[in-house]
Amino acid sequence: MNSAAAQSISWDPYNTDLIPNPYPMYKRLREEMPLYYNEEHDFYAISRYADIEATLRDRDLFSSAHGDILEFIKAKSVMPDSVFIHQDPPKHTAYRSLMQRIITPKRMFAVEQDIRALCARSLDHLVGGDRFDFITNLGAEMPMRAVSMLLGIPEKDQTAIRESVDARMRTEAGKPIDLANQQAIQQEALAGFEEYISWREKNPSDDMMTELLQTDFKDPEGVVRKLTRDEISNIVNVVAGAGNETTNRLIGWMGKTLSEHPDQRRDIVKNPALIPAAIEELLRYEPPGPFLAREVMRDIELHGKKIPKGAAMIMLVAAGNRDESRFVDGDKFNIHREQRPHMTFGQGIHVCIGAPLARLEGRVAMEEVLKRFPEWEVDYDKAVMSSTSSVRGWDSLPVWIGSKPKNYVAPKPAAPAPAPAAPAADVTLEGTWNVVVKGPTGPQPAVLTLERNGDSFTGAQAGAGTSTPIADFKKTGNKIYWVNHITKPMKIKVEFTGELSGNVITGKAKAGFMGSYPFTATKA
Amino acid sequence: MPKILYIEHNGKEHVVDADVGKSVMQNALENLVPGIIGDCGGACSCATCHGYIDPAWEGKAGSRNENEEMMLDGALRVEPNSRLTCQVIMTQELDGLVVRLPESQF
Repeated sequence: MNSAAAQSISWDPYNTDLIPNPYPMYKRLREEMPLYYNEEHDFYAISRYADIEATLRDRDLFSSAHGDILEFIKAKSVMPDSVFIHQDPPKHTAYRSLMQRIITPKRMFAVEQDIRALCARSLDHLVGGDRFDFITNLGAEMPMRAVSMLLGIPEKDQTAIRESVDARMRTEAGKPIDLANQQAIQQEALAGFEEYISWREKNPSDDMMTELLQTDFKDPEGVVRKLTRDEISNIVNVVAGAGNETTNRLIGWMGKTLSEHPDQRRDIVKNPALIPAAIEELLRYEPPGPFLAREVMRDIELHGKKIPKGAAMIMLVAAGNRDESRFVDGDKFNIHREQRPHMTFGQGIHVCIGAPLARLEGRVAMEEVLKRFPEWEVDYDKAVMSSTSSVRGWDSLPVWIGSKPKNYVAPKPAAPAPAPAAPAADVTLEGTWNVVVKGPTGPQPAVLTLERNGDSFTGAQAGAGTSTPIADFKKTGNKIYWVNHITKPMKIKVEFTGELSGNVITGKAKAGFMGSYPFTATKA
Repeated sequence: MPKILYIEHNGKEHVVDADVGKSVMQNALENLVPGIIGDCGGACSCATCHGYIDPAWEGKAGSRNENEEMMLDGALRVEPNSRLTCQVIMTQELDGLVVRLPESQF
C-alpha cells in the first residue's frame, strides 16, 4: 500500500460527505486497512465480516459496560442496571433473561394481523393519490403503534396521542414535515407513562406491560423479585426507542432500494414468497444501524497493530455485510442471492432482542405496500437523509406512485427562502415547552419550564428522570439561547441555540464534546 | 469426520462433514446449509437455530439446558424433540446425526 493511498483513507461517523454513500470507503477499509485508527476522534474500526463476528462474540474482551455508541464509551457513560444494552454480565444477563421471556417470537407472531391492520390504516387513504412518503406515512407511524400495542397502551390513549400530533401537523402545514413529527409521537407516547403503569397494575391484561409488572426475576445480586417502576420505565424507553427508530429506517430503505431495483420489485410482486428473503437482503444491504462500538478490555494486537486497553472499537457492520469474502458481489442488491446470515442485528449476547418483531414488521410492511403500490419512484429532490452515531436512513422519502410524471421539472436550487411570515401574535415564552433532542441514541424528550421576571427568564428543564435549572436564557429577535447543565446520563453542559417560529423553536443542542444535535421545542 | 444430515422443511437433504467440538449450528453455517440462521452466534440468545433432533439420536444429543428451555418456550413451532442447535456440540458418537429444520426460523 503506498502512503498516498493510505492518507486518503479516512472515516468517522460525523463525516457528512460519507453519509449518502459510505460503501466505497468501507470497501477500501476492508481491503487496505482492516484495522483503522482515527486519530482525531481516537477510535479503532474494523470492517471485515470475520473480525466483526469474532469481536461481537467475545464479550469479555470487548465490553458493553459503557454502552455500544462511540460517544458514550469515550465518556465512560454509566447507566442504571436495567438499561441492559449498556451492561456486561452478570447485570446484562439478569435483565436480558427476563426480557427474553417477554419479547418472544411467539408473542410477536400473535400480533401479525394487528400489524397488518396498522399498515392498512397508514396506507389505505393513500390509494388513488399520486404520491406518498415512506417515512411520514408508514415508517413514523406503524412501528410506534406496534410497540404501543405490544406494551398495551389502550387504543383510546393512542388515538389521543395521534390526534394531538395530527393537530400540530395541521398548524405547520406548508412547512416540510420534519423529524419533530416522529419524535413528538414517541415523546407523547411515553409521556404520562407512570400513570399508565399504575393503571395497568390495577387492570392486568395479556400485554408486555402486565408481564413487566408481574414477572419475577433474579436481579444482579441474586435476589428474586419484581421490577421496580424505574426499571420498567428504563426498559420501556430502551425497547420503545430501539423498536421505533430502526424499523422506521428499514422501511425507508425498503422504499429507496426497491425503487432503484424495479426488476427485483416485479419479481417480488409476482411471487410474494420472496419477501422474507428480500427483507434479509435489505437488512444486509442497508443496515439501519450501520455500526456498533465496544470498549477493549486488554492490550491486544490485530492485523499487526497494537490496541491499548480502554480503546474504543467501532465495528462497521455495514462494511462487514458487504465483505466480498463472504457475500459474492457484496455491493449488489440481490434478493436471489444465496442466503447467508448478515450482521445487522449484531451477534453474541447483545444480539437485537427485537429482531423477530423487526422481521415481522418488515415483511408485513413490504406485503402491504406492494399490494397497493406495485411501482413507485423516489423524489430525490425532496428526500432527506440523516445519519447519527447509531442510525443511518431517511428522515423523509417521498415517492411518486407509479413513476415520475413526464412533465416533471426539478425545482431550481432554492433562492434564499423568504423569512417565514411572523405569526400574528408572538407566542408567550413563559410556560411549558416540550423539547426533543435528536441525540445519538435516538430522540431524547425533556420538558422546559420558563418563568418571566421582568425582561429576563429563568426556569428548569426535566429529562431522563431529573430536573436541573437552566441558565443564560436570551431572546434576540427570533433567536433563542439557553444553557442546561444536565447530570444524567452524564454530567455535561448542553447549549441550545435556536430560532422561534410560531410556537416552535428549532435549532441545535450542543452537548460539550459530544457534538451538536438537532432539537425542537414546542409550546405545550 | 463424523457426518450430520440436515433435512430442510421442503425435504431437501444436506450431508455435512462435521467438525467435532463445534455446535450443530456452526457446522450448518460453515457448510452453507440453508434454514439455520444463528443470529446470536451461539450465545443461546436468539432462537434462530431451531432444529428437530431425529428421535433415534435424542439420548446421545443430550437434553435442553435451562436457558435453552426458556428460549424454546417463546419460540415458534416447538416440538418435544426441538433443540437450539447451537447448544448441541458435535462429537464422534453423534456420527450420522439427523436434524430436521423448521419451516422458518422467525
